[in-house]
Amino acid sequence: MPEPTMTPEALERFLGAAEPGRAASVTDFRPITGGYSRLSAVADVRWDDGGTERLVLRGDPQPGDGVFVSDRDAEWRILQALSHARSVPVARPRWYDATGEHFGTKCIVFDHFAGRSLQDVLREAGDDPAPGRMFVDIVAQIHSAPLEALGTAVEHPASWDDYLDGVLEIYRAVDREVADSSPVLRYAGALLARHRPPPVPFALVHGDCQPSNVLVADSREHVVIDWEFAHVGDPREDLGYYTQIPMPPNVYHRDPQSFLARYRERTGLTEEQVNPDTVEYFLVIGMAHLLAQILRALDAVARGETRGVMATYLINAVTHQYGMYLAICRRVAA
Amino acid sequence: MISRPTTEQVLLDCCRVLEDDVLPGVADETMQVRLVMLGKVLRNAAVRAAHEVAWMREETARIEEYAGGVAASTGSEPLRAALDDLAAGPHDSLHLADVVEVYGRASEALSVALEAALAAERDDLVREGESLLSARLQHENDVVGGWNSAGR
Repeated sequence: MPEPTMTPEALERFLGAAEPGRAASVTDFRPITGGYSRLSAVADVRWDDGGTERLVLRGDPQPGDGVFVSDRDAEWRILQALSHARSVPVARPRWYDATGEHFGTKCIVFDHFAGRSLQDVLREAGDDPAPGRMFVDIVAQIHSAPLEALGTAVEHPASWDDYLDGVLEIYRAVDREVADSSPVLRYAGALLARHRPPPVPFALVHGDCQPSNVLVADSREHVVIDWEFAHVGDPREDLGYYTQIPMPPNVYHRDPQSFLARYRERTGLTEEQVNPDTVEYFLVIGMAHLLAQILRALDAVARGETRGVMATYLINAVTHQYGMYLAICRRVAA
Repeated sequence: MISRPTTEQVLLDCCRVLEDDVLPGVADETMQVRLVMLGKVLRNAAVRAAHEVAWMREETARIEEYAGGVAASTGSEPLRAALDDLAAGPHDSLHLADVVEVYGRASEALSVALEAALAAERDDLVREGESLLSARLQHENDVVGGWNSAGR
């Protein structure tokens, strides 16, 4: 596939193909910064019948560029399933350049949702607990989404123990694959396999669960975005993952007990299943895919390839993760 | 060779130019974030340039001693193999690539030693291994000096 060309001209050509009989001109087009994985842009479009709309484009960077890899086909499938089921509000997926024919990269085109990031709302809310509660409720809403409505859009694991073993195997596999062994990962993998928390039913897991991935309108309507790492798994992965998000304020760290009590109330899970200890455990589980991708990118740099500055910058994140993993291992083993 | 300014000082001077002279003149938000990341990477590299050879050699010596003790206590064959591999590394060289090679073998020995200690349910050896992981992490933290996810 050639270099990504997410440009106004490419969008006009794509819309012409997606909507035969109508023609669109792009009146404004600007990239969205802040994402760590995909290329994004927002575009204003005027149709030849006089209608206007604002769209969001989300495409893959050039292969070998960047750190995080995800499957756009899978994201499109899950977005369609969620949009159809209406169990979790998402920005409406409109069209998909599944081959990269138009944009030089696989690219999903969404309706733009006029709202602010919930992280921004939280930042400005100060002591007001409402936005924090909203986040907990949204996480519970994701985890309560009926899995049967997802159909074949996502893989459904067979058993909880096999699933957990599979995630821990991600760490062992990446440790075998890259040049240098990571003793923290090897230790965490061996220790956590011996100290399993009680299982819970599988749920839809967002995979990058944080308030930055929730957009809130002035009306308090919201959508959840960035489903690229979504899968069916243990819902506590999202809780654990969120605890390591470094951007303040972090709703969980502000009051873990209240966060978890509300989450349990919304999901029906028990305190034995969802408590600070199990959430910590699932920080390690919930980070497995992303940390493995960072380590693979760093290994590629060590072999002389380039992944952009993001890869070497994320050495900082790896150190941060390892520190947390070791602290968790100490508490699990105690 | 020209040893002063040191590599650490050269890299920190590059950071200063990047952050004080280049960054304010860049309007594109994506490029601004990349420059902030680049500045952080250069600061990390400056700390590594100043200390990494010494830190890796210190850690390697402690790991060899620990892993040897675990091997003697547990009789772990994979650990003996890892220690043999470590012993065969280019210990005498101070060239960075050789120090990294030996450190990589030591890291594998530490990983195997911790797994052997856990399998043998030797809590004392596990605790000792954890202290080596802590020392390793302390060096990593000294390099990165915190994590705040630029641009988000």
